[in-house]
Amino acid sequence: MIFSLIQAQEDTSAAVDTLTKTYSQKWDAASNLQHANPVLKAASSHDLIFIVLGVTLVIWFVLLFFIVRVDKKLGNLEKEIEQSKVKGAS
Amino acid sequence: MKLNPWKYVVAIWMTGVVIAGFLISIPNIPILKQSARNLFFHVPMWFTMAVCFAAGLVYSIKYLNAPSPELDRKAETTTQVGLLFGICGLLTGSIWARFTWGTWWTFAEPRMNLSALGMMIYVAYFVLRTAFDDPEKRAKISAVYNVFAATTIPFLLYIIPRQLPSLHPGAEGNPAFSDITAPEMRYVFYPAVIGFIALAVWLIDILNRYKKVRHKIEQQRA
Repeated sequence: MIFSLIQAQEDTSAAVDTLTKTYSQKWDAASNLQHANPVLKAASSHDLIFIVLGVTLVIWFVLLFFIVRVDKKLGNLEKEIEQSKVKGAS
Repeated sequence: MKLNPWKYVVAIWMTGVVIAGFLISIPNIPILKQSARNLFFHVPMWFTMAVCFAAGLVYSIKYLNAPSPELDRKAETTTQVGLLFGICGLLTGSIWARFTWGTWWTFAEPRMNLSALGMMIYVAYFVLRTAFDDPEKRAKISAVYNVFAATTIPFLLYIIPRQLPSLHPGAEGNPAFSDITAPEMRYVFYPAVIGFIALAVWLIDILNRYKKVRHKIEQQRA
Protein backbone atom coordinates (compact mmCIF):
# COMPACT_ATOMS: atom_id res chain seq x y z
CA MET A 1 0.00 0.00 0.00
CA ILE A 2 1.29 3.46 -0.89
CA PHE A 3 1.29 5.96 1.92
CA SER A 4 -1.26 8.44 0.67
CA LEU A 5 0.34 11.61 2.08
CA ILE A 6 3.61 11.01 0.25
CA GLN A 7 1.77 10.08 -2.88
CA ALA A 8 -0.31 13.21 -2.64
CA GLN A 9 2.76 15.45 -2.77
CA GLU A 10 3.61 14.31 -6.28
CA ASP A 11 1.29 16.78 -7.91
CA THR A 12 -0.28 19.99 -6.74
CA SER A 13 -3.94 19.21 -7.32
CA ALA A 14 -3.63 16.01 -5.29
CA ALA A 15 -1.84 17.85 -2.50
CA VAL A 16 -4.71 20.28 -2.29
CA ASP A 17 -7.41 17.65 -2.55
CA THR A 18 -6.29 14.57 -0.66
CA LEU A 19 -9.73 13.56 0.47
CA THR A 20 -11.87 13.21 -2.62
CA LYS A 21 -10.19 10.09 -3.99
CA THR A 22 -10.05 8.22 -0.73
CA TYR A 23 -13.36 9.14 0.76
CA SER A 24 -15.73 10.24 -1.97
CA GLN A 25 -17.53 6.90 -1.91
CA LYS A 26 -17.93 7.10 1.83
CA TRP A 27 -19.42 10.61 1.85
CA ASP A 28 -22.94 9.31 1.61
CA ALA A 29 -24.44 11.83 3.99
CA ALA A 30 -23.20 14.73 1.90
CA SER A 31 -24.91 13.47 -1.24
CA ASN A 32 -28.22 13.37 0.59
CA LEU A 33 -28.09 17.12 1.24
CA GLN A 34 -30.17 17.83 -1.85
CA HIS A 35 -33.03 15.98 -0.21
CA ALA A 36 -32.48 17.36 3.29
CA ASN A 37 -34.62 20.02 4.92
CA PRO A 38 -34.61 23.53 3.40
CA VAL A 39 -32.26 24.97 6.04
CA LEU A 40 -29.55 22.41 5.37
CA LYS A 41 -30.15 22.77 1.67
CA ALA A 42 -29.64 26.52 1.81
CA ALA A 43 -26.57 26.10 4.01
CA SER A 44 -24.95 23.75 1.54
CA SER A 45 -25.54 25.90 -1.51
CA HIS A 46 -22.95 28.14 -3.21
CA ASP A 47 -20.09 25.65 -2.98
CA LEU A 48 -20.38 25.49 0.84
CA ILE A 49 -19.20 29.08 1.34
CA PHE A 50 -21.76 29.46 4.16
CA ILE A 51 -20.05 26.64 6.04
CA VAL A 52 -16.75 28.51 5.97
CA LEU A 53 -18.56 31.66 7.03
CA GLY A 54 -20.17 29.75 9.90
CA VAL A 55 -16.85 28.34 11.09
CA THR A 56 -15.23 31.78 10.90
CA LEU A 57 -18.09 33.42 12.76
CA VAL A 58 -17.93 30.81 15.52
CA ILE A 59 -14.21 31.55 15.97
CA TRP A 60 -14.84 35.29 15.89
CA PHE A 61 -17.68 35.14 18.43
CA VAL A 62 -15.69 32.93 20.79
CA LEU A 63 -12.73 35.34 20.61
CA LEU A 64 -15.07 38.32 21.00
CA PHE A 65 -16.75 36.75 24.03
CA PHE A 66 -13.30 36.19 25.54
CA ILE A 67 -12.18 39.78 24.88
CA VAL A 68 -15.40 41.20 26.36
CA ARG A 69 -15.06 38.98 29.44
CA VAL A 70 -11.43 39.98 30.07
CA ASP A 71 -12.35 43.64 29.54
CA LYS A 72 -15.17 43.39 32.10
CA LYS A 73 -13.05 41.54 34.64
CA LEU A 74 -10.41 44.22 34.28
CA GLY A 75 -13.04 46.91 34.77
CA ASN A 76 -14.14 45.29 38.03
CA LEU A 77 -10.53 45.07 39.19
CA GLU A 78 -9.99 48.76 38.43
CA LYS A 79 -13.08 49.63 40.45
CA GLU A 80 -11.88 47.53 43.38
CA ILE A 81 -8.50 49.24 43.40
CA GLU A 82 -10.15 52.64 43.15
CA GLN A 83 -12.36 51.85 46.15
CA SER A 84 -9.51 50.47 48.26
CA LYS A 85 -7.58 53.66 47.55
CA VAL A 86 -10.49 55.80 48.73
CA LYS A 87 -10.77 53.70 51.90
CA GLY A 88 -7.02 53.94 52.49
CA ALA A 89 -7.13 57.73 52.13
CA SER A 90 -10.01 58.33 54.55
CA MET B 1 -20.47 46.20 34.50
CA LYS B 2 -20.77 47.72 31.05
CA LEU B 3 -18.11 48.27 28.47
CA ASN B 4 -17.46 51.51 26.67
CA PRO B 5 -20.15 51.80 23.95
CA TRP B 6 -17.62 52.05 21.10
CA LYS B 7 -16.47 48.51 21.85
CA TYR B 8 -19.92 47.16 21.03
CA VAL B 9 -19.79 49.11 17.77
CA VAL B 10 -16.44 47.46 16.95
CA ALA B 11 -17.89 44.01 17.70
CA ILE B 12 -20.90 44.52 15.43
CA TRP B 13 -18.81 46.29 12.76
CA MET B 14 -16.30 43.43 12.54
CA THR B 15 -19.08 40.83 12.44
CA GLY B 16 -20.52 42.73 9.48
CA VAL B 17 -17.13 42.85 7.79
CA VAL B 18 -16.68 39.07 8.12
CA ILE B 19 -20.16 38.35 6.77
CA ALA B 20 -19.82 40.81 3.88
CA GLY B 21 -16.30 39.59 3.15
CA PHE B 22 -17.59 36.07 2.64
CA LEU B 23 -20.83 36.83 0.89
CA ILE B 24 -20.40 39.74 -1.54
CA SER B 25 -19.97 38.60 -5.10
CA ILE B 26 -16.50 39.28 -6.42
CA PRO B 27 -15.24 39.15 -9.99
CA ASN B 28 -13.63 35.87 -10.99
CA ILE B 29 -9.89 36.43 -11.23
CA PRO B 30 -7.83 33.56 -12.64
CA ILE B 31 -5.51 31.81 -10.13
CA LEU B 32 -6.85 33.90 -7.21
CA LYS B 33 -10.48 32.77 -7.59
CA GLN B 34 -12.32 33.01 -4.25
CA SER B 35 -9.04 33.52 -2.41
CA ALA B 36 -9.24 37.14 -3.59
CA ARG B 37 -11.45 37.57 -0.50
CA ASN B 38 -8.22 37.35 1.51
CA LEU B 39 -7.82 41.00 0.55
CA PHE B 40 -10.36 41.77 3.29
CA PHE B 41 -8.41 39.92 5.98
CA HIS B 42 -4.74 39.62 5.03
CA VAL B 43 -4.08 43.20 3.90
CA PRO B 44 -5.73 44.94 6.91
CA MET B 45 -3.33 42.97 9.15
CA TRP B 46 -0.46 44.98 7.72
CA PHE B 47 -2.34 48.28 7.83
CA THR B 48 -3.17 47.65 11.47
CA MET B 49 0.40 46.66 12.25
CA ALA B 50 1.69 49.86 10.62
CA VAL B 51 -0.72 52.00 12.65
CA CYS B 52 0.24 50.24 15.90
CA PHE B 53 3.97 50.59 15.24
CA ALA B 54 3.51 54.25 14.33
CA ALA B 55 1.69 54.80 17.63
CA GLY B 56 4.54 52.99 19.41
CA LEU B 57 7.03 55.32 17.73
CA VAL B 58 5.07 58.37 18.88
CA TYR B 59 4.94 57.11 22.49
CA SER B 60 8.65 56.28 22.43
CA ILE B 61 9.57 59.75 21.19
CA LYS B 62 7.25 61.27 23.79
CA TYR B 63 8.95 59.15 26.42
CA LEU B 64 12.38 60.39 25.38
CA ASN B 65 11.09 63.96 25.61
CA ALA B 66 9.49 63.56 29.01
CA PRO B 67 10.06 60.16 30.65
CA SER B 68 7.13 58.57 32.47
CA PRO B 69 6.25 54.92 33.14
CA GLU B 70 2.84 55.54 31.54
CA LEU B 71 4.39 56.39 28.16
CA ASP B 72 6.76 53.43 28.30
CA ARG B 73 3.81 51.17 29.03
CA LYS B 74 1.87 52.55 26.08
CA ALA B 75 4.84 52.21 23.73
CA GLU B 76 5.30 48.60 24.79
CA THR B 77 1.61 47.74 24.44
CA THR B 78 1.11 49.27 20.99
CA THR B 79 4.22 47.47 19.79
CA GLN B 80 2.98 44.18 21.23
CA VAL B 81 -0.35 44.42 19.47
CA GLY B 82 1.37 45.59 16.27
CA LEU B 83 3.65 42.57 16.31
CA LEU B 84 0.65 40.32 16.92
CA PHE B 85 -1.04 41.64 13.79
CA GLY B 86 2.23 41.48 11.82
CA ILE B 87 2.64 37.80 12.67
CA CYS B 88 -0.96 37.18 11.59
CA GLY B 89 -0.10 38.94 8.32
CA LEU B 90 2.92 36.72 7.76
CA LEU B 91 0.98 33.52 8.50
CA THR B 92 -2.03 34.42 6.35
CA GLY B 93 0.30 35.55 3.55
CA SER B 94 2.09 32.23 3.67
CA ILE B 95 -1.15 30.28 3.36
CA TRP B 96 -2.31 32.48 0.49
CA ALA B 97 1.05 32.08 -1.27
CA ARG B 98 0.82 28.28 -1.15
CA PHE B 99 -2.35 28.24 -3.22
CA THR B 100 -1.59 31.08 -5.62
CA TRP B 101 2.19 31.06 -6.04
CA GLY B 102 2.59 27.37 -5.23
CA THR B 103 4.84 27.67 -2.20
CA TRP B 104 4.52 28.34 1.52
CA TRP B 105 7.66 30.41 1.51
CA THR B 106 10.10 31.58 -1.11
CA PHE B 107 13.34 33.44 -0.64
CA ALA B 108 12.91 34.93 -4.10
CA GLU B 109 10.04 37.09 -2.85
CA PRO B 110 11.41 40.32 -1.35
CA ARG B 111 8.23 41.50 0.39
CA MET B 112 7.82 38.20 2.20
CA ASN B 113 11.37 38.08 3.48
CA LEU B 114 11.70 41.74 4.31
CA SER B 115 8.46 41.73 6.30
CA ALA B 116 9.73 38.66 8.18
CA LEU B 117 12.93 40.62 8.86
CA GLY B 118 10.84 43.54 10.11
CA MET B 119 9.01 41.25 12.52
CA MET B 120 12.34 39.94 13.80
CA ILE B 121 13.54 43.50 14.44
CA TYR B 122 10.45 43.98 16.60
CA VAL B 123 10.91 40.64 18.35
CA ALA B 124 14.36 41.96 19.30
CA TYR B 125 12.61 44.92 20.97
CA PHE B 126 10.97 42.55 23.44
CA VAL B 127 14.14 40.53 23.91
CA LEU B 128 15.92 43.80 24.68
CA ARG B 129 13.27 44.74 27.26
CA THR B 130 13.85 41.53 29.18
CA ALA B 131 17.55 42.36 29.52
CA PHE B 132 17.05 45.12 32.13
CA ASP B 133 15.97 44.92 35.75
CA ASP B 134 15.89 48.66 36.26
CA PRO B 135 12.60 49.90 34.77
CA GLU B 136 13.92 53.37 33.91
CA LYS B 137 16.93 52.01 32.08
CA ARG B 138 14.71 49.51 30.30
CA ALA B 139 12.26 52.19 29.26
CA LYS B 140 14.91 54.57 27.97
CA ILE B 141 16.96 52.07 25.97
CA SER B 142 13.92 50.33 24.52
CA ALA B 143 12.48 53.70 23.50
CA VAL B 144 15.68 54.49 21.61
CA TYR B 145 15.61 51.04 20.02
CA ASN B 146 11.94 51.47 19.08
CA VAL B 147 12.75 54.64 17.17
CA PHE B 148 15.28 52.65 15.16
CA ALA B 149 12.90 49.70 14.66
CA ALA B 150 10.04 51.91 13.49
CA THR B 151 12.20 53.73 10.96
CA THR B 152 13.16 50.42 9.30
CA ILE B 153 9.52 49.47 8.65
CA PRO B 154 8.72 51.90 5.80
CA PHE B 155 11.87 50.81 4.00
CA LEU B 156 11.41 47.08 4.56
CA LEU B 157 7.71 46.96 3.79
CA TYR B 158 7.01 49.74 1.34
CA ILE B 159 10.10 51.18 -0.34
CA ILE B 160 12.45 48.28 -1.08
CA PRO B 161 9.79 45.73 -2.16
CA ARG B 162 8.47 48.19 -4.73
CA GLN B 163 11.86 48.49 -6.39
CA LEU B 164 12.34 44.75 -6.89
CA PRO B 165 10.65 42.22 -9.16
CA SER B 166 8.04 40.31 -7.20
CA LEU B 167 4.83 38.35 -7.55
CA HIS B 168 3.25 40.31 -4.74
CA PRO B 169 1.02 43.20 -5.85
CA GLY B 170 2.82 46.50 -5.41
CA ALA B 171 6.10 45.47 -7.01
CA GLU B 172 8.28 47.19 -9.58
CA GLY B 173 7.02 50.66 -8.84
CA ASN B 174 3.34 49.71 -9.04
CA PRO B 175 0.97 50.80 -6.37
CA ALA B 176 -0.32 47.74 -4.54
CA PHE B 177 -3.93 48.37 -5.06
CA SER B 178 -5.21 51.11 -7.34
CA ASP B 179 -5.96 49.77 -10.81
CA ILE B 180 -6.03 46.03 -10.33
CA THR B 181 -8.62 45.89 -7.59
CA ALA B 182 -12.27 45.73 -8.54
CA PRO B 183 -14.18 48.73 -7.13
CA GLU B 184 -16.81 46.60 -5.38
CA MET B 185 -14.12 44.98 -3.25
CA ARG B 186 -13.26 48.35 -1.75
CA TYR B 187 -16.68 48.57 -0.11
CA VAL B 188 -15.59 45.76 2.16
CA PHE B 189 -11.85 46.41 2.17
CA TYR B 190 -11.88 49.88 3.71
CA PRO B 191 -14.41 48.98 6.43
CA ALA B 192 -12.25 45.91 7.16
CA VAL B 193 -9.17 48.12 7.61
CA ILE B 194 -11.09 50.44 9.95
CA GLY B 195 -12.56 47.48 11.84
CA PHE B 196 -9.25 45.74 12.40
CA ILE B 197 -7.57 48.97 13.52
CA ALA B 198 -10.43 49.55 15.96
CA LEU B 199 -10.06 45.99 17.22
CA ALA B 200 -6.33 46.66 17.76
CA VAL B 201 -7.21 49.82 19.71
CA TRP B 202 -9.51 47.72 21.89
CA LEU B 203 -6.77 45.16 22.57
CA ILE B 204 -4.30 47.97 23.34
CA ASP B 205 -6.82 49.47 25.77
CA ILE B 206 -7.24 46.16 27.61
CA LEU B 207 -3.49 45.53 27.80
CA ASN B 208 -2.74 49.07 28.99
CA ARG B 209 -5.36 48.90 31.73
CA TYR B 210 -4.06 45.49 32.81
CA LYS B 211 -0.54 46.85 33.11
CA LYS B 212 -1.79 49.88 35.03
CA VAL B 213 -3.61 47.66 37.53
CA ARG B 214 -0.56 45.45 37.90
CA HIS B 215 1.61 48.51 38.47
CA LYS B 216 -0.74 49.82 41.18
CA ILE B 217 -0.80 46.47 42.96
CA GLU B 218 2.99 46.31 42.86
CA GLN B 219 3.15 49.79 44.35
CA GLN B 220 0.73 48.88 47.13
CA ARG B 221 2.82 45.85 48.01
CA ALA B 222 6.04 47.84 48.09
